[in-house]
Amino acid sequence: MSDDAILIGFGAATVRVATPLLLAALGETVSERGGVLNLGIEGAMLGGALGAAVGAAQGSAVVGLALAVAAGLVAALLLAAVSVWGRADQIIAGTAVTLAAVGVTGLVAQRTFGSAGAGLELATLQPVEVPLLGAIPVVGPVLFRQSLLTYLGYLLIPLTWWLLYRTRFGLELRASGEAPTSARAAGVAVRWRRTAGALLGGALAGLGGASLVLAQVGTFTEKMTAGRGFIAIAIVVLGRWHPGGVALAALLFGAATALQYLVQASGLGGVPWQLLLALPYLLALVALASAVGRARAPAGLARDDQEES
Amino acid sequence: MRRAIVTCLLLLGAACGGESATPGDTLRVGLVTPGSVADAAWNAGAFAGLEQLRDSLLVDISHVEARTPAEQEEALRSYAAQGYAIVFGHGFEFQQPAERVAAEFPNTVFAITSGQRVAGQVVPIVFRIHEATYLLGRMAGALTRTNTIGFLGGMELPPIVLGLRGWEEGARAENPAVDSRVTWLNSFDDAAAGKEATLAMLRLGVDQVHHNADAAALGAFSAVRETPGVLIYGANANQASLAPDRVAASAVIDLPRAMLLLTREVLAGEFVPKVESFGLESDVVRFELNDRMRDTLSTALVQRVMLARDSIIKGLLVVAGTPAP
Repeated sequence: MSDDAILIGFGAATVRVATPLLLAALGETVSERGGVLNLGIEGAMLGGALGAAVGAAQGSAVVGLALAVAAGLVAALLLAAVSVWGRADQIIAGTAVTLAAVGVTGLVAQRTFGSAGAGLELATLQPVEVPLLGAIPVVGPVLFRQSLLTYLGYLLIPLTWWLLYRTRFGLELRASGEAPTSARAAGVAVRWRRTAGALLGGALAGLGGASLVLAQVGTFTEKMTAGRGFIAIAIVVLGRWHPGGVALAALLFGAATALQYLVQASGLGGVPWQLLLALPYLLALVALASAVGRARAPAGLARDDQEES
Repeated sequence: MRRAIVTCLLLLGAACGGESATPGDTLRVGLVTPGSVADAAWNAGAFAGLEQLRDSLLVDISHVEARTPAEQEEALRSYAAQGYAIVFGHGFEFQQPAERVAAEFPNTVFAITSGQRVAGQVVPIVFRIHEATYLLGRMAGALTRTNTIGFLGGMELPPIVLGLRGWEEGARAENPAVDSRVTWLNSFDDAAAGKEATLAMLRLGVDQVHHNADAAALGAFSAVRETPGVLIYGANANQASLAPDRVAASAVIDLPRAMLLLTREVLAGEFVPKVESFGLESDVVRFELNDRMRDTLSTALVQRVMLARDSIIKGLLVVAGTPAP
């Protein structure tokens, strides 16, 4: 196989692997900017994956997308109700949401698909080539022969930026995340803003989970998100809570993952596979360590809205 | 039973299937699985076996899922304390917990699938899966056009490596120049990773794929289905239905049959602690061609593979992955 074909294959795999991470991490960016650290994001993604599979089993990927968003919203709503309104610790509430999602999705999947599982006959979102752009050598097939969810991810990068930095809602959301007591004094409904941010995050995490099922593998398996939600949280830190940075960080993770599959598959001896599998995480550590001086979390992140930040 | 139920409740959403045992003269058999029985593979097979024991030998059955070492030991102990005659610990990770528990309960047989050694009433059930994967490898070695075969592994566990060795050995027997690629996922759940890993192998020229990655391997089937000219070989169950035109054959472990053979021995009072080893000769480990693909395969190849199968059963051909006795 020619070098070009391998390069294109690697590039396309990078974008495919990055898509669920990008969607979930953009959502988490919005949520964290509002001060809600959502460790339930892993559960929201898993719920989204199951929702997508259940909907797709009815014969329509669109129904799958709708159910995925709904599942993500339910997970985020739980977290918001308990931690924003009930003032419970966000870390504990988020962990509980994720653990509950693992159990509930397993149970629902067994009830829905039986012991044979979801199979490989679900309706999926096939890659769609963007006219003109798809014809550009190398870049075209890498970026513009992907599923609709990937294109949605591209669009959400500027949209999230616009929402956070160019709208009144974004300003109030960021104020709720940075200095909730001052924001409240200025008349911002902090808890409602935080809830809205968390719900947006949940919906996007649901879509991220859906992309695993509808755009990638075409089936649901229990615990299939395999920690991607937590990786998305790391990506938000790595991208310094900025949509552009988050997109680059998601691509970096995608590239590192695609690269380690490529290296394993090339059969080069000598490199232990455990080290290759750890490559994305090692890269993230290096990137984090080198960015640590500049990175700063929203001051009110994971704090109660009554606490002075 | 209470402990088992509590264990069940502790495991969020775990499927606590099976009927709870009632005291009486009927033999009682318990099963502890390390994961959900809805995986359509390793754990599902054991649960199906348990149900068959109930239906054909009329024993009382019970099942719990226990994921962590502490839960696993507790689940084994709880069954034994209630006087279960046989407790199946489904996976090599149950060996040590079973040895710790067994000393206190001399009347219970602990059967550990893929276990390591006999210790009192703890007996390993060993599957010589490499005898079947050797035959898959023979087919792959003969059918590859690129001289490159690929294996997708969940984790580098001893029973999985055994199957991999058989696969490679078989392929080299047909085709000494064959190049074998291996990718490990470190997951049995991540089907999306399974697909990307398989696609990477296919892009680099692999055209025959075998796996042992349970649910994550669904991704391998998905990748093969969308890549023309590639064949895949099923593991642990007959997986022809996942890609009817692309699955050449499967290496099957008939867990229900193994559990039945062992339980019969105990019922008949003939049980002696020993390594319960099952290979092609027992029909517990089987090589199954996909009937839909049979017409596309050369008769000479099928005959060669079947001859190798007979030689293994007669002991004339030893697949080297065999662990020392």
